[in-house]
Amino acid sequence: MDRVVVVDHLVKHFEVNEKRPGIIGSLSTLFFPKKRTVQALKEISFSVKKGELVGFIGPNGAGKTTTLKILSGILYPSSGFVQVGGYTPWERKEDFLKQISLIMGQKNQLWWDLPAIETFELNRAIYEIPERSYKRSLDELTTLLDVEDILTVPVRRLSLGQRMRMELIAALLHKPEIIFLDEPTIGLDLVGQKVVRDFIDDYNRKNEATILLTSHNMDDVLGLAKRVIVIDEGSIIFDGKLEELTAHFAKEKEIRVFLKNGADYKKLEEIGKVKKVKHPEVVLSVPRAEVATAAARILENFQVEDLTITEESLDDIIRKVFQGKLRKP
Amino acid sequence: MRKYLTIFKISFQQEFAYRLNFVLWRVRNVLQIFIAFFLWNTIFSDPGRVVFGYDRAKILTYIFGLIIIRAIVLSSRAIDIAGEVSRGDLTNQLLRPMGYIKYWFTRDLSSKALNLIFSVFEASILFLIFKPQFFFQTNFLLFFLFLTSLVIAVILFFFLMFIANMLPLWLPDQPWGMSFLLFIFTDFLGGGVFPLDILPSYITKIIYLTPFPYLLFMPLQIYLGKLDLITSFNSILIGTVWVIVLALGTKVVWSQGLKSYGAVGR
Amino acid sequence: MKKLIKYLHLWWMMSKNSFVMVFYSKAALVIFLTGKILRFGFFVIFLIFLLKGTNSLAGYNLNQTLFFFLTYTIVDTLSQFLFREVYRFRPQIISGDFDLTLSKPISALFRSLLGGADVIDLITVPPLIYALIYVGAMLHPTLFQIFIYIILLLSGLLIATAFHIAVLSLAILSLEIDHAVMIYRDIVSLGRFPTDIYKEPLRGVLTYLVPVGLMVTLPAQFLIGLVTFQGVLVSFLVCAVFLFASVSLWKFALRYYTSASS
Repeated sequence: MDRVVVVDHLVKHFEVNEKRPGIIGSLSTLFFPKKRTVQALKEISFSVKKGELVGFIGPNGAGKTTTLKILSGILYPSSGFVQVGGYTPWERKEDFLKQISLIMGQKNQLWWDLPAIETFELNRAIYEIPERSYKRSLDELTTLLDVEDILTVPVRRLSLGQRMRMELIAALLHKPEIIFLDEPTIGLDLVGQKVVRDFIDDYNRKNEATILLTSHNMDDVLGLAKRVIVIDEGSIIFDGKLEELTAHFAKEKEIRVFLKNGADYKKLEEIGKVKKVKHPEVVLSVPRAEVATAAARILENFQVEDLTITEESLDDIIRKVFQGKLRKP
Repeated sequence: MRKYLTIFKISFQQEFAYRLNFVLWRVRNVLQIFIAFFLWNTIFSDPGRVVFGYDRAKILTYIFGLIIIRAIVLSSRAIDIAGEVSRGDLTNQLLRPMGYIKYWFTRDLSSKALNLIFSVFEASILFLIFKPQFFFQTNFLLFFLFLTSLVIAVILFFFLMFIANMLPLWLPDQPWGMSFLLFIFTDFLGGGVFPLDILPSYITKIIYLTPFPYLLFMPLQIYLGKLDLITSFNSILIGTVWVIVLALGTKVVWSQGLKSYGAVGR
Repeated sequence: MKKLIKYLHLWWMMSKNSFVMVFYSKAALVIFLTGKILRFGFFVIFLIFLLKGTNSLAGYNLNQTLFFFLTYTIVDTLSQFLFREVYRFRPQIISGDFDLTLSKPISALFRSLLGGADVIDLITVPPLIYALIYVGAMLHPTLFQIFIYIILLLSGLLIATAFHIAVLSLAILSLEIDHAVMIYRDIVSLGRFPTDIYKEPLRGVLTYLVPVGLMVTLPAQFLIGLVTFQGVLVSFLVCAVFLFASVSLWKFALRYYTSASS
């Protein structure tokens, strides 16, 4: 049984205080508080094997971060069974915490006014990392992330990208077996994002660490996750390989048409949704079932140089996922 | 003018929005008066006693007067300036078509109005509980001078706070250092803890040269009639001089500070 | 035992970090040190001239009154030295950085309570102790009285600990209160004078319910020779009750946080 993470029928409700606007509203909020229940997670179940890299994606507020917080022990659930590395996360036993690491984009654990190396030393004491292992990890990580010469610079003087690299080191010095990443690339520039992504990928491969990450960034999903779990409104609507995402959700196909000179592409809007126009190229998207008829109509009514039919791109599908435009079919 | 009225209203609402917070802030104010009240109550437990030129009625009036005067003079939102500057939010404010200094003075007045309402309420309740003898100033001229000195005190404190809150323009990492010092000086040298005339004259002579006594102590002294007309008038004069000095100081610090600020923030 | 050593070691490391940060900013060191010294000095001057004019305060002479104030100051200063991190706790909750504290194999209470020792307060402690001894000596206490005095001071410090733990819990339970710790400071500052000056029922409240009296007045009274052994036992009892209550409150707050964070 090499399942490192087991989640079964996990449910999480939040109680939210409703605040009403205006003076009368605020007075009534004071004396007659109304509570509303938000169902953040509605019975989700999944399991993760050792060494897997899983991406949780979904629109804002879908429940991705909530799931991660429960798995890392910061939140406890309303009901359901969760086991991570053999432990119940929210009991926050010391041995459990030593095995995991939580990295949240734009949240810092580094002491702001001191050089990062001081936080590393502190973590060494907290995680009780033996000296030799610590030195080795430190050397390895600082070389990999190319930060040797800024170790002694106070953290507040570092750029966001440099800080993120330091956060990564601080989080990985104790060689955790299970890593939770919440929006790790948020706020970083393209170069910074790539550094973080490559590093995570590398770490996963080399150390066989189990990695669960949430992200709203397309490139993170395409570049890292081999397996994706799509969460929308508290339920899992897809759990499988990234490539299968298309097959599962692509309801439309794309027709790429190269029109001969003089063709009125506006008329094409009657046949399908025009996605892109770059004369003489026009890209339409059309429901799967109608693609044959649509193609025929185009060829009949327009002067066409070339026509190809393709699947909706993975990018578009993921974008639709982020926007919450996909529901369980 | 209308925009300042709007600012006044919004500032008022915002302070009151954090109800629990505001209530606890008032509780803190009352607690601070408690110490003073009980202290002097014990000292003057013999009702005939006269010491430092005060009798029981006058000293208790001083303490109760402090509740109201502190609310009028020391309530201030200007302490938020330091945070604004230190975070770099000052840049946004500078782009608005509104005098920065006038903006904060308006917010100060709004805070004072709110605190005044509550302090009158609290003072009345404490009055009913402890039933101290209260001294009522009947001399119309003195009362008028008292009100004048209050106005001076309000303006004086604003300028002092404003200047103190300008520190982060030079030291963005230490926004509240000067405010911290200012409050210590105001509390002691302003008569916020005890009436200054318990100190010997060689000390008070020096203290009266600073602006602090004119915040709390002098207005109360005028009210209590412990100063004759001429001395009262003099103290108002000195207070006015300080207002002018600090107004100029504020202008200087403000323009110098902006140069050094250079829109650096976090 | 090993755990204790680990936590002592961690406290030392975090305090070192804290100290270094202050030394990086000389302005902070100067401003706050000056402020604290002035605040202390002004009050002493006030006491001296007050008692010059009144000769006695609630039956105590100048020497004794000063000793009360010094006892208050040492307990208050040591509390600020140890628990400065409590003043920084609320921003951590608001920003969500507290989650990261929770995810580490270190007691979150330990980290939030003791993680930021204040070196500026530490600097003021030796001269304070010197003043305490100087003024205290003039009261001619016996060796036994000194011994119990120190024990009572420690008990007072433990009550202060309980208060700070309660403040931490409140920061989690109510996002609205942003200066709970200052209210605590205001209440404790009522102990600058011997609690004899307060009339009942306030005095009773201050002695047993919000035990400022036990924290600061009692140790000094003992040294002056005014307290029975019963009083000492009561102080220990209250101390234990408060510690237990505050730690329970913290556990409750943590449970609340981990069920409601979003």
